Amino acid sequence: MTTALFSEDQRDALQELTNIGMGQAGASVAAVLGEFVQLSVPRILVLKPALIPAALERIVGAEKVTAVRQGFHGDLRGEAVVVFGAAHCRELADLMGYDDSLDEAAERELLLDVSNVLVGACLGGLAEQISAEMGFSAPSLMASEAEVATLLDVSRMDSPCALFVEVNFRLEKRSFACHLVMLLPEDQILVLRDAIDRFLASL
Amino acid sequence: MDSLTSGALGNFIADRVEVGVFVVDADFNITLWNHFMATHSRRPAPDVLGRNLFDCFPELPRAWLERKVRQVQALRNYAFTSWTQRPYLFRFDHNRPITGGVDAMRQNCTFLPVKNEAGEVEQVCVTVQDVTDTAVAHQELAASLAEIEKEKAEQRKLIRELESAHNQLLQSEKLASIGQLAAGVAHEINNPIGFVNSNLGTLASYVDELMGVLDAYTGVHAQLPDAQRSAVEAQIDGVDLAYLREDLVALVTESREGLDRVKRIVQDLKDFSRMGESEAAWADLHHCLDTTLNVVANEIKYKAEVVKHYGELPEVECVASQINQVFMNLVVNAAQAIAERGTVTITTGTEGDGVFVAVRDTGVGIPPEVKKRIFDPFYTTKPVGTGTGLGLSVSYSIIERHGGRITVDSTVGEGSEFRIWLPVHHPAPAAAAT
Ligand SMILES: Nc1ncnc2c1ncn2[C@@H]1O[C@H](COP(=O)(O)OP(=O)(O)OP(=O)(O)O)[C@@H](O)[C@H]1O
Ligand SMILES: [Mg+2]
Repeated sequence: MTTALFSEDQRDALQELTNIGMGQAGASVAAVLGEFVQLSVPRILVLKPALIPAALERIVGAEKVTAVRQGFHGDLRGEAVVVFGAAHCRELADLMGYDDSLDEAAERELLLDVSNVLVGACLGGLAEQISAEMGFSAPSLMASEAEVATLLDVSRMDSPCALFVEVNFRLEKRSFACHLVMLLPEDQILVLRDAIDRFLASL
Repeated sequence: MDSLTSGALGNFIADRVEVGVFVVDADFNITLWNHFMATHSRRPAPDVLGRNLFDCFPELPRAWLERKVRQVQALRNYAFTSWTQRPYLFRFDHNRPITGGVDAMRQNCTFLPVKNEAGEVEQVCVTVQDVTDTAVAHQELAASLAEIEKEKAEQRKLIRELESAHNQLLQSEKLASIGQLAAGVAHEINNPIGFVNSNLGTLASYVDELMGVLDAYTGVHAQLPDAQRSAVEAQIDGVDLAYLREDLVALVTESREGLDRVKRIVQDLKDFSRMGESEAAWADLHHCLDTTLNVVANEIKYKAEVVKHYGELPEVECVASQINQVFMNLVVNAAQAIAERGTVTITTGTEGDGVFVAVRDTGVGIPPEVKKRIFDPFYTTKPVGTGTGLGLSVSYSIIERHGGRITVDSTVGEGSEFRIWLPVHHPAPAAAAT
């Protein structure tokens, strides 16, 4: 389905780059979030936008989700969406070491914060690997307790492909998962492909 | 004058730009404090530079801010705050002292890592952007949205009210025609009953007189000649005169009792319908209950024994015909809920500044999912043609208009209790018309 956009090699390289990026980011994320935070090896999927809702639903399940979007710009330009399952959202406060129950504004702020950390770590790590300069705009809440299927209005997306990165958080016995989707417009995919090719050539 | 070098230009802009800019080092000592920060905090740069941020501004949310800054240092990445979640970082006056609308300047903040040559984050730069105008506009928008939502909710409520008024009308039309019929029948029956009653009265006195005459004759026939005497004795034995005399009196008494009952039923029918009545008046609810029970006696007598636990009740200001209708709905429902045989218990008493009437049955009970809907117009679980599903919805609106409450308590398999509470005084006696 995505063969036209990325070759097998390019896809593998992308996985590799993300792994390294996330690996580097892992330590610092752990430092921010708590002692025993583990980030799993991210799973990469490159999908046409129309297939994203189905993919999301498969990964997240049919539960309601809350999503945060954040734009990035610079050498690579696009949007990142972080999707949280509703149940996981409630565990967030726990994870972040807030013991008292949070009011709604505080909970949202926390959600935005975690998303920002994740997007920054994941994309920042990737950018570093391909020597790209990247800046981020402020994250904003996209949907709260919405159906997965209604989350992204795929008909309005003109991006021919989306990079779907699944990241898992783990904290001791509690497991907490969220999913990060990186959406790139067409010209940016070319930029990313060139960067990947450069990375491959440097091996 | 020479133009500024680009470094000086950068400094000038950082200082004069209409955005708050300040920088702290790893120990939260302030290393940069621009003009915007100085004017809005009323703390000029020389006052704060080199000093700890939290010493200068103890009101800042310290734990949170520390975590934020550490995060920027550790991740070497941006962090943000938005006024929607955190209205402001510093409590500054806003630029709308007159037109106002908010208590303090709304701020969006960005935390930027300031890296050294080696790429390590030694300092963190924070920009504070005044977004009060946006926030106020947003709030106004949210307020008008809420207003629209409220109006929509009101409209929905009106539509619902219209619907129930419509149903009420349907039902009261139905009841009005039944009432008319009942009143007409009652009137027609009254006439024949009148003369049967008076004839029976006459008959009773005739029987009395006849008995006197018969008494006078008793035993006299013994003195008659043999042939005649045995003929009379045969007659007396043939009709069993002793029994006949006894029974004749009993028959007349029973007939008069039966007639009294017919008269009472007719009176009840008239009471029940009380055509055209829609004004609240003082009524004895026990009388209302008894009347209603008489009217529906036929419908319930094979199903249920009616047990009355009447307490002491004051008279209640109500539209009796409507309250009768409510009692009838509840009692009929109770009987219909009983499959074979059971009991319908009616309990009354006072409660607060009102009275209550509870109708309990030993019927099938109401499952929770049904209970949610029983007061909905046209909701019925009864077979087509049996129930219209209006009984409870009409009862509900009648009780509501009387300023009372109707509640239900039910256990599946055990039975249900419908409880009405009515204030002694009707809330708006003048406006109590249907
Ligand atoms: N005492 C009760 N026990 C069990 N179910 C009841 C009782 N009273 C009412 N219900 C339930 O509530 C429903 C609605 O009652 P309601 O009196 O409004 O309509 P109905 O009795 O079905 O029809 P109608 O009264 O118009 O002839 C009934 O169909 C029945 O399911
Ligand atoms: Mg009914």
